[in-house]
Amino acid sequence: MSTAFVVGVLVAAGVFLLLRPGLLRVVLGFVLLGHAVNVVLLAAGGLDRRTPAVEEVGPDTADPLPQAFVLTAIVITFGITVHLLGLLRRGPGGQAHGADPTGGDGIGGAGRAGGRPTTGRRR
Amino acid sequence: MTLAAALAWQVGLAACVPLLVRRFGRDAGYPLAVGYLAAAALLLTRLPVILDDRQVTVAWRWLPSLEVDAALRMDALGLVFALLALGVGALIMAYCPRYLDGSEDEQQRVYVTMTLFAAAMLGLVLADDLLVLFVFWELTSILSFVLIGQGGRPAATGPAVRALLVTVSGGLALLAAVVLLAVHLGTTSIDTIVAEPQRLHGGPAWAAGALVMVAAFTKSAQLPFHFWLPGAMVAITPVSAYLHAATMVKAGVYLLMRFSAVFAGSLLWDGTLIAVGLLTAILGALLALRQYDLKALLAYSTVSQLGLLVGVIGVGTPAADAAAILYTVAHALFKATLFMLVGIIDHQAGSRDVRQLAGLHRVMPVTVWLTVLAAMSLAGLPPTIGFVGKEAMFAALGEAHGQWWLGWCAAGLGVLASVLTFAYAARLVHGMVEGPTRQRQLREPSWAFLAPAAVAAVAATTLGPTVAVLSPLVERAANDARPQGTPPDLALWHGFTPALWLSVLTVLLGVLMFLGRIRVERWIRDVPTTAPFAELFERGRQALLKTGSVVARTAHLPEPATYLARPLLTVVALAGVAAVALPEAPAGPGGGPARPGDWLLLGLLVPALAGLLVVRSALAAISLTGVVGLLLSAWFLTVGAPDVALTLMLVEVLTAVVIMLAVRQQPRRLAPVGGRLSVVGAAVLAAATGVAAAAGTAVLTGRGELSVPGWWYLDRAEELTGGANVVNTILVDFRALDTLGEAVVLAVVALGLVRLAPGRPGGPDHTVPAGDDLVLSLAYRVLAPVLLLASAVLFLRGHEETGGGFIGALLAGAAVGLGELAHPGGAPLLSRLRSAPLAAAGLLTATSAALVPLAAGRSLLTPLALATPEPLPSLSTSLLFDFGVYLMVLALVVAAVRRLGAAPARPSVQPDSGRAR
Repeated sequence: MSTAFVVGVLVAAGVFLLLRPGLLRVVLGFVLLGHAVNVVLLAAGGLDRRTPAVEEVGPDTADPLPQAFVLTAIVITFGITVHLLGLLRRGPGGQAHGADPTGGDGIGGAGRAGGRPTTGRRR
Repeated sequence: MTLAAALAWQVGLAACVPLLVRRFGRDAGYPLAVGYLAAAALLLTRLPVILDDRQVTVAWRWLPSLEVDAALRMDALGLVFALLALGVGALIMAYCPRYLDGSEDEQQRVYVTMTLFAAAMLGLVLADDLLVLFVFWELTSILSFVLIGQGGRPAATGPAVRALLVTVSGGLALLAAVVLLAVHLGTTSIDTIVAEPQRLHGGPAWAAGALVMVAAFTKSAQLPFHFWLPGAMVAITPVSAYLHAATMVKAGVYLLMRFSAVFAGSLLWDGTLIAVGLLTAILGALLALRQYDLKALLAYSTVSQLGLLVGVIGVGTPAADAAAILYTVAHALFKATLFMLVGIIDHQAGSRDVRQLAGLHRVMPVTVWLTVLAAMSLAGLPPTIGFVGKEAMFAALGEAHGQWWLGWCAAGLGVLASVLTFAYAARLVHGMVEGPTRQRQLREPSWAFLAPAAVAAVAATTLGPTVAVLSPLVERAANDARPQGTPPDLALWHGFTPALWLSVLTVLLGVLMFLGRIRVERWIRDVPTTAPFAELFERGRQALLKTGSVVARTAHLPEPATYLARPLLTVVALAGVAAVALPEAPAGPGGGPARPGDWLLLGLLVPALAGLLVVRSALAAISLTGVVGLLLSAWFLTVGAPDVALTLMLVEVLTAVVIMLAVRQQPRRLAPVGGRLSVVGAAVLAAATGVAAAAGTAVLTGRGELSVPGWWYLDRAEELTGGANVVNTILVDFRALDTLGEAVVLAVVALGLVRLAPGRPGGPDHTVPAGDDLVLSLAYRVLAPVLLLASAVLFLRGHEETGGGFIGALLAGAAVGLGELAHPGGAPLLSRLRSAPLAAAGLLTATSAALVPLAAGRSLLTPLALATPEPLPSLSTSLLFDFGVYLMVLALVVAAVRRLGAAPARPSVQPDSGRAR
């Protein structure tokens, strides 16, 4: 039963972040949605059997198939996160220094993120 | 094997083109012509077999589960069309060197595409399986598009797209017909389908027949699809001569002949072919009569002549089949000649307008007399092959079965079309020989330029009296199209038959029409013969594009919130509908039974997420996201998924590192959340989506038994793969193709980053001094070797225990990340890793591990044990595959850490700043 709640709060938080301004929030929201999907996948495989599938197989051995799905899904999510971060650095319109059409501010206030190369830079 | 060899030879020729062009320049056409002739000779070696009423076949299993074979078969019908494709192709190749004068790249493109096209045409007429036929059919359409488009020349784009859209919609119709036939008959073998036409009776024969006709009509430019062919004349003349006169447009004719045995005999098939074909013949001829541009005239003439062919195929007697085959050959010969000569005239005179070419025979006599020879064939004058073919067609049309009036009607329409043909052929010649010479400075082209056209013109003329040479092959081919008896012999002189009188009538009327040409021209200009189909088609296409842009506009918004709201609302609405429509939730604990640890997870997760939503500090937000991830990975450990837990933990660490690197030069605070109203709106939508997701999880998951494949893996994995870690065996043994795809995605992201995020400005020299982070530097020196060692151990033991390629690579990536944090710009040792070579090496390793079993006769990706000496542990290709995955994941991490860690590029980027790192 708790799994449903876990999925619910992850999705709610992820969606909220996606809907707010700033590309960094979008990235974080996306990560949370990825978590939610992974939990759903495992729940779909059944959570009443919880012994890892590396030892002797018994009645309590967990279903390995959803685990394999989740494992690759995690790595793919990482790949997409990295890609989003690449876009974040680059700013909107595929340009590193595009004008900021949204009037956002700060990190991922879309465009200006890439437009202020020296702000906060360590020297 | 001959067939496969010929096909492979043709593809090999295309592959050799770059070498030939480098060696011979534009003269590469000559060796290519020899190559085409060699392929034709190879096929001709089987002529005795074929004349003996046997077939040449070759087949490989292709899709065993669908019982589809990669099957080729050559009978006489296929041989005729194959020889046309190769023979005319050789002439065109020999014509190209003197015609082409573009850049070397352009010559190379033309030669490669034409040679591939010849291969596709060859495959099309030799295919013995519906799917193979379809594949080659589409290939000819696509290659034709490439040749018309000429590498994207603006003027050629519109016609090329139109030609592609028309022919590809015909391809769709063919696909539908193929599916219909395959499903209804349970086989895709053309031989079987054609041999037993009665199997289709009572089935969807009419629908399949109609679809085949649509496909053929698009390819052969029949009404109402004829408009693409004149547009395709923007292509260079050799292409027009080869594709749009002699071969590709004949693919429709071939298709109709091939399937005549299946569909003929019904009024739908016969009647439609006769009606559409003869109407197209007349309309095309009328349109040709109005043209001043010689190439446009020839294009409409092609439409018209193909119409005659289609009409004759509809008649369906043995004589008709033989006439159609003979006329296909005749038309290919004289039409290719005419196109080549028009190309020469255009090349020399700089104009194809018949009004500019008056008196041409005084300065270019050979060219003009060759044109006269070919035009005689076109007009159907003796002794050319065109005369023999046309007379055979008149005889066939007169026999149109059923009512007596049908035969008279068909023959009458055929004569009408031929009269018009005579008139425009006369006009074509007359324009060149009439009046004073307009361009006195013109000269005859070199003999090498004329030779291919001369060969074809002479062949078209001399094959009239010697048509008996073709008789055995044509007779056999007619029998292959429809096994229903022997057609009459082919001959120049049959005596005073009705067909001869029709020929005489045609010539008389044609001469009359030519003499009254001024009145005829005025009359034709007033008749609205331009059919509205082209405009309808264009309007439909524009409407479709407009619809597309309207639909797409809603997604082209600057803020994700604006367009994400719609799918999210849809999700919520769907959940609402489900809540109302579903009577009651199934019994049992939704989402699976909860244990104390699960509630603990929830209890810790909620405050972390709440904090994440309210913080304004970027650092805090990133850290809290990391906390959420770590909580989940701890939970994964408790539900019996240690591999997943370890992967997630490493990914969380790396994600945090990468985000920190990516945003470290940027403001430390997040953007403001926005106005109160929009915050409330977002919160409501987020909460509703969350409730929907929670409800869905509760209702739909957690009640099933262990899944059947899950059980099978648990039961058999160790025995089949030798690995005890079932999750890892699923990844690298059972579902390795999935894993390969996913790892390739990661490699693509890595390479994308290399493009997306430029390297560090100033290159490797521009490094931040490492002295300011002694602690990190020390940690790197101590931890990096440990991490790398652990990575190696985890990777190697993956098959047995928790570990594997993903986990091992992430751990090594952690060392790389640590190095980048400690020494921005150049950590000792690990900074030598480069993502692009890593990704390439990984891709190569994984694909070779996938392909090795093929060499051993097993299917793709089957794990094979490799023989290793005794003291070493046993190795298998799945370990090699996993190593490829390892390299690709590492490539991603390296790219992420380096590229995102580098300072963003500035406008005044130095040329070397994009150096790959």
